[in-house]
Amino acid sequence: MSGVTLVGVTKMYGQVKALDHVSIDVQSGELLALLGPSGCGKTTLLRCVAGLERPDRGTVEIGSSDVTEAPTRSRPIGMVFQSYALFPNLTVRQNIAFPLEVRHKPRKEIKSRVGELLELVHLTEQADRYPKQISGGQAQRCALGRALAPNPEVLLLDEPLSALDALVRGRLRDEIRRIQQLVGITAIYVTHDQSEAMAIADRVAVMNAGRVEQIASPADLYEMPTTQFSAKFVGSRNAVELAVRDGRVGIPGSFQIDAPAGSNGHALAFFRPEDVQVSRGDAGSGMDARVEMKIFLGATTRLHLIGEADGQPIEIFGDLPSRQARLIEQGEMVRVDVDPDHVQAFPT
Amino acid sequence: MAVEIGRTQSRAGGRVGRAGRNLFFGAALVYFCLPMVAVLLYSFATRWTAHVLPDGYTLEWWQATIADPRIQSAFSTSISLATLTALIDIAVVVPAAYWSRVRNARIRHVVEVAAAVPFALPYVVIAFGLMQFSGVVAPQFQGTFPLLVAGHAAIAFPFVYWAVDGAMAAASIERLSETAEACGASPIQIVRRIVIPNISPGLVTGGLLSFAASFGEFAMAQIIGRGLDTVPLWSAEMIRSYSDTAGSYNRLAAVTLLTFAVLFVLSAVVVYWNRGQTVRLLPGAGASTQGDRR
Repeated sequence: MSGVTLVGVTKMYGQVKALDHVSIDVQSGELLALLGPSGCGKTTLLRCVAGLERPDRGTVEIGSSDVTEAPTRSRPIGMVFQSYALFPNLTVRQNIAFPLEVRHKPRKEIKSRVGELLELVHLTEQADRYPKQISGGQAQRCALGRALAPNPEVLLLDEPLSALDALVRGRLRDEIRRIQQLVGITAIYVTHDQSEAMAIADRVAVMNAGRVEQIASPADLYEMPTTQFSAKFVGSRNAVELAVRDGRVGIPGSFQIDAPAGSNGHALAFFRPEDVQVSRGDAGSGMDARVEMKIFLGATTRLHLIGEADGQPIEIFGDLPSRQARLIEQGEMVRVDVDPDHVQAFPT
Repeated sequence: MAVEIGRTQSRAGGRVGRAGRNLFFGAALVYFCLPMVAVLLYSFATRWTAHVLPDGYTLEWWQATIADPRIQSAFSTSISLATLTALIDIAVVVPAAYWSRVRNARIRHVVEVAAAVPFALPYVVIAFGLMQFSGVVAPQFQGTFPLLVAGHAAIAFPFVYWAVDGAMAAASIERLSETAEACGASPIQIVRRIVIPNISPGLVTGGLLSFAASFGEFAMAQIIGRGLDTVPLWSAEMIRSYSDTAGSYNRLAAVTLLTFAVLFVLSAVVVYWNRGQTVRLLPGAGASTQGDRR
């Protein structure tokens, strides 16, 4: 098994830079998620690895060989598309056998390998059905089996779950992860869904406007977004614009942190709702705020809190364990505090 | 109560609607079939003078037609001409349409303009141009079968192109092709194993349309196929030879029916081949059918 190395990959569509000097090192056996909004270049990057797009500049290496100029069919890849793209004229079994047949593998070897893969993706019973006769989840498992059939070095997945309904999506996501780890294959997984990326990936590359904003493990990305974009895109966060005073920024009565470099006058502070502490009455410390709304979410309850900072009203979302939130009434005055360790501030 | 009334009304409405439908269908059937029936009767008629039906019936014309070596050779020429035309068009159009969809969208415009030419210009003009051109380039081909095949392939290819292109759109051939490429297939493997099986309805439809266009073509055959005997050329001669021996029109009727039979059998094959599938001649139509699967 081998990794993928992208160096300075640039792709222009007319005047638009779809990819702008993207360099990523995907470790062998790792699942890297490319996460970003539509049009950020994540699919284009995946297609550059597959050879379906040719980068204008930069190199693509799989293992230790430079494949930048190699045609798709001679790259050691397997690919799964959002739309399944099963061959409608072939059965599930024939679809999985296709990559082996075009490589002129011996009949016996094809038969045993296809049997193995059918087992791996749990489609042995549907093996002789046509794509029209199976469900979306089964179709995508078949596509996964087909991609893995020739023992590729890299598995490329382009939004494989987007066309499926929520229930199937979660199950198949875990299934893909299980199989990827079982086979130990290097994988690149394109998605616009941050929770999907977090759940499945070893590392997540957040992309924006053709650039990589941050590459980090899901936990690090969640805790410590290093750019404003990843802070906004990953996890639901409070984003509060605050005045900078004497190189410090904060909510009076609550946290104060060093203002980010390059900020003048104002900074944007990000913190997560679960890092907001709420105490009733005058007991705790923090900013005075009114509970504007209470939304029961199950294990947690979300409070919409209106406070005041620098003479401006600010709205903060706080998630509390529901048992604790039961005591708090809508309209009640509370104290709101935020742990400064969990606040990131960026220049506006 | 309300439900009852509603049901009664809808039943009555249904009856009227069905009657209207049947009436319309019957009228269409008469319109299409009456000429055929007349021709059929005429081909069996001894004489057909003052009555609604012929004066008497005979198999003489059919026997004479089938035994006539000239008619036999006209049929064999026309069938080989039309078959070759269809095969050449398929062989040219499938790779071109595939390439225009997958690799080079620019040749699409060229192909589309080319596909409009046979309809924008009368066949006579195209035939005359072809004759002039071949006179300069390859005079030895003038009036020969290969030149006529080339001419027919040129005027019949739009039918194949539209049918094939529509079938490719319906099958999302670009996507399948990319997938096959990622599976490691070569362009030839992709066309043979993925493209052709998934556009077969379009191939059959396009092939039949170009076959029919060539089989019935007259103007071009007359100009560049002089010396050849195709079915339309033979039929035209029969009509012109006004004072020919008795029964020539009856034999013409028999030939017309034979022509019809050839095309009818082919159409039946197409319908059978495409059963359960809608054949789309418009490019792009039905491109979403793939995504409808759940």
